[in-house]
Amino acid sequence: MITKIEEPHKKNDILKILHPFVREWFLNKFGEFSLPQLYGVMEIHNRNNILVSAPTGSTKTLTAFLAILNELVTLDVEGKLEDKIYAVYVSPLKALSRDVEVNLTTPLGEINGIAKKYGKKLSIRIGLRTGDTSASERAKMSRKPVHLLVSTPESLALVITSPKFREYMRDIRYCIVDEIHALAENKRGVHLSLSIERLRELTGEDFCRIGLSATVSPLDEIAKYLVGNGNSCKIADVQFVKKMDLKVLSPVKDLINTSYEEQSRETYELIDNLVQEHKTTLIFTNTRAATERVVHHLKEKFPKKYSDNIGAHHGSLSKEKRLDIENKLREGKLKVVVCSTSLELGIDIGYIDLVILLGSPKSVARCLQRIGRSGHKLHETAKGRIIVLDRDDLIECSVMLKSAIEKKIDTIHIPRNCLDVLAQQIYGIAIADMIHYDDLFKLIKRSYCYKGLEKSDFDSVLDYLAGEFTSLEDRHVYAKIWRDKETGMIGRRGKLSRIIYMTNIGTIPDETHVTVKIGEQIIGHIDEGFLERLKSRDVFVLGGERYEFQFARGMVAQVKSSANRPPTIPSWFSEMLPLSYDLGAEIGRFRRLMEEKFLKRRNKKEIIDFIDEYLYVDRNSAEAIYRYFNEMFLYVKEIPNDKKIVIEHYSAYNKKFVVFHTLYGRRVNDVLSRATAYLVGLLGKRDVELGINDNGFYIASENNMQAKRAFDSLKSKDLDKIMEIALEKTEVLRRRFRHCAGRSLMILREYKGRRKRVGRQQVSSMLLISAVRRISNDFSILKEARREVLEDLMDIEHAREIIKKVENGEIKIKEIDTKVPSPFAFNLVLQGYVDVFKVEDRMEFLKRMHQLVLAKIGMTEKLEV
Amino acid sequence: MKISDNIEIIDLCLYLKKEKILVIGDMHIGLEESLQKQGFFIPRFDVNEVIERLKNIFSKAEVKKIILMGDVKHEFGTISGQEWRDTLKVLDFLLERGEIILIKGNHDTILGPISHKRNLEIKDYYKINDTLFVHGDKIVNEKSKIIVIGHEHPAVSFEERRDEKYKCFLLGKFKKSKLIVIPSFNLLTEGSDITKENVLSPYIKDIKNFRVYVVEDEVRDFGFVKDLE
Repeated sequence: MITKIEEPHKKNDILKILHPFVREWFLNKFGEFSLPQLYGVMEIHNRNNILVSAPTGSTKTLTAFLAILNELVTLDVEGKLEDKIYAVYVSPLKALSRDVEVNLTTPLGEINGIAKKYGKKLSIRIGLRTGDTSASERAKMSRKPVHLLVSTPESLALVITSPKFREYMRDIRYCIVDEIHALAENKRGVHLSLSIERLRELTGEDFCRIGLSATVSPLDEIAKYLVGNGNSCKIADVQFVKKMDLKVLSPVKDLINTSYEEQSRETYELIDNLVQEHKTTLIFTNTRAATERVVHHLKEKFPKKYSDNIGAHHGSLSKEKRLDIENKLREGKLKVVVCSTSLELGIDIGYIDLVILLGSPKSVARCLQRIGRSGHKLHETAKGRIIVLDRDDLIECSVMLKSAIEKKIDTIHIPRNCLDVLAQQIYGIAIADMIHYDDLFKLIKRSYCYKGLEKSDFDSVLDYLAGEFTSLEDRHVYAKIWRDKETGMIGRRGKLSRIIYMTNIGTIPDETHVTVKIGEQIIGHIDEGFLERLKSRDVFVLGGERYEFQFARGMVAQVKSSANRPPTIPSWFSEMLPLSYDLGAEIGRFRRLMEEKFLKRRNKKEIIDFIDEYLYVDRNSAEAIYRYFNEMFLYVKEIPNDKKIVIEHYSAYNKKFVVFHTLYGRRVNDVLSRATAYLVGLLGKRDVELGINDNGFYIASENNMQAKRAFDSLKSKDLDKIMEIALEKTEVLRRRFRHCAGRSLMILREYKGRRKRVGRQQVSSMLLISAVRRISNDFSILKEARREVLEDLMDIEHAREIIKKVENGEIKIKEIDTKVPSPFAFNLVLQGYVDVFKVEDRMEFLKRMHQLVLAKIGMTEKLEV
Repeated sequence: MKISDNIEIIDLCLYLKKEKILVIGDMHIGLEESLQKQGFFIPRFDVNEVIERLKNIFSKAEVKKIILMGDVKHEFGTISGQEWRDTLKVLDFLLERGEIILIKGNHDTILGPISHKRNLEIKDYYKINDTLFVHGDKIVNEKSKIIVIGHEHPAVSFEERRDEKYKCFLLGKFKKSKLIVIPSFNLLTEGSDITKENVLSPYIKDIKNFRVYVVEDEVRDFGFVKDLE
């Protein structure tokens, strides 16, 4: 059962449970309990599972540690502290040493100081075990266990497989998962959920689980994720106690009729003004490229103001550089730091009094998380300014602001039934100990992420691990686990299994940067995901220069200089965050309310008043929003919204475009567009071009397309089947398959002491996918790749919902013809990412190419041998 | 498809009518195993699929002699039992249908024991009438009107779809000789895309002017490499 704690506990009650040393230390150091502590400490002391949700800087980490340190000190003073691990703390952040220092080592040292005063000496040991922990440290820990282990999800999976550590961990009493919201939404979290259940199997009884989370929704789901199936959990919800001061700002009055140069100049002026008015500012830009650009421009435009006091922070920078910036920030040496998304999470970054978001953060939770980085203390007001880049951005951010103020947080997506992670964990379980088939299934089903796991999928993963897809003779090569079908027992196989597990554990695919070259000359690097979207002759920007993509081989992209053509694909695409479905729905609702006003012929003032009241924006922004809608309404007499999909036809450059105004976010549009393109292709028998963004998608072709007919024929019951076929040949499926093959250890990134380059993995995964298909199109790892693409990367569930609503008439379809794209279609056509949907099969394609060649050369000249 | 009076392309093989010779490209038996040793657990390709494909080819031509163009097996290192059995199975199948001439490839450094078992000699090259057969990784000092090589594993792709590769024969010139490059007979891989990758064999110069015959369900003349761009 999941229950919310309604009332905080009383200060005196909590003080009563604290050991005198701990009590003295706490009162000296803090005096008062913070709100999360009032809610949480007593519950943890009573070993109740608890999820504490509170903004950054609200001392939730100490909430968890206080009760645990208290217990350890009590045991220690009573001489009852044994050589075993009492608590394990897991965080997704790799650089944990500072956190440990601040939250554990220092407090413990201070408590020890008090103990000494009373003639006692504490012997509590705390240990850090991450991927960076040295071999000697690890050895020390396995000789003499620490009492509180600080770890990452990957290292936790390692230690619960190590025989020594398993002995030390049999009596674990507490398990803390920090930043649980950031883990639950990806495969790292799925992996962790199974590790925790493995730990539970080891202890034989329940231990206290503590989850610490930032603002996230729904909390019930996160709580269930934390405790697993069937366990109860309490929730301490202090998410919204921090005061927020939020505003959306337009750099210019008119976001459409202002030149790029002017808008850019005004944007930097605005940023500079804001920065100068505050002590320390943190700017989020969404992408690495933009981060570099903003730093560069600020330095260039205001050389006297910005030099050593400005820093860039993003994932492509070296670890040292990032640490350097973080340290300087904490020491107050920086006036402004610009980052992509990298400073969203946890680490203490010192005093920030303003957060600027350049462009939409795409979800309410992320918006709050970022803005929460300012005003670090709980009682301080968090101050955030969102600077919008265009009119779609303006509407999106304004609606987001409304949702943030009205506390409507988007729903988190927790991946389910991931078969690749399952394979890796079963491998680990088998290495650690022999286990019966039934017990294994029960263990896995305890995890919330595997609640709905089908027995048949479980079996197929076991078949894969037992090498049953190959002949008996080859099994010694392929089998990863030992299985006796008679007795149902499962265990380790092969001398190398432990070392393979240790060197290949985890769920994060290898860094995948593609080298861009002209001939042999290296130009720079792009993301693998970006390469995925490039097709021949696409023009993109890298390091300020334009290049035309020619072809890729392995992890090298060959390009040539392209001075004259404009970019066809925005270079930040692969980093682009998708709009959350819930926020999309809110924007759709706003569009509908606006359309009603226009249909009722409300005058300009009335409508602007409505915007003003509904959206919490200033007059300028309200006016800009009005103008945008007015243009759209005057032009096509339709405003697409949450209950109306507008299908717009127009032609340009000898091509026919069909634009679908579906404001459901890119994850949904990815599904809707591919399914529609597939059906259009079936009717027309030719490949079509696709463009997708958060607000809709388009399909383009030189031929006539029966797009409306295709969309009408798209039925929710057929969606799975259609998408399975539609994905079959895509680069994205191949790429995700490589990741899944890595996670399920079908491709080992490290084997017999040799680490493989990603390019090598890529080439081999092509062979692997075709070999696997030969065995079965439902091979567990292939099935998982498909699930990952459809459910995690894309959003097939909400797409299905939309189609159902179209089927039952809740969403109406309107068709319009335009000469030039309507205002709402403009950004989509300009910047949507582009893909080609392949309809023809391999043989048809070859035949067509042959016809083309025949026509081209006339085939007159015969070469004689 | 006939490419001269005497020479015909049958599926992935070349056939010399007068001499009744069937030429088979690099087979790379055991490629999967070599990948396994590097940590890629690619399911083994069933050697029977290779034999089925060969059966179909033999049904289309009368064969006296079979020339294997080298790299029959993949692994440089030790030969595993499975690889040994697979290779023998293919060799025995071929032996029932004609005399085998084995040409040495760069992956065949230790093909010796297997060929020895069937009393087959491995030749650096083989010449009959005006045609020279050589693997193609290095130039042999032997002139001939026609030269046939393997090694390259040629395949092509088209701009619209760079990720779809098709095996092909190449027909061009080496000095004064006609040069025929034959595709690999490995069914797991397509080969290297000559429209975008560098050529490997020193026999191939000026690839733009090579004629392309794509092999898929049938053989198709695609004109010159330069026409594909």
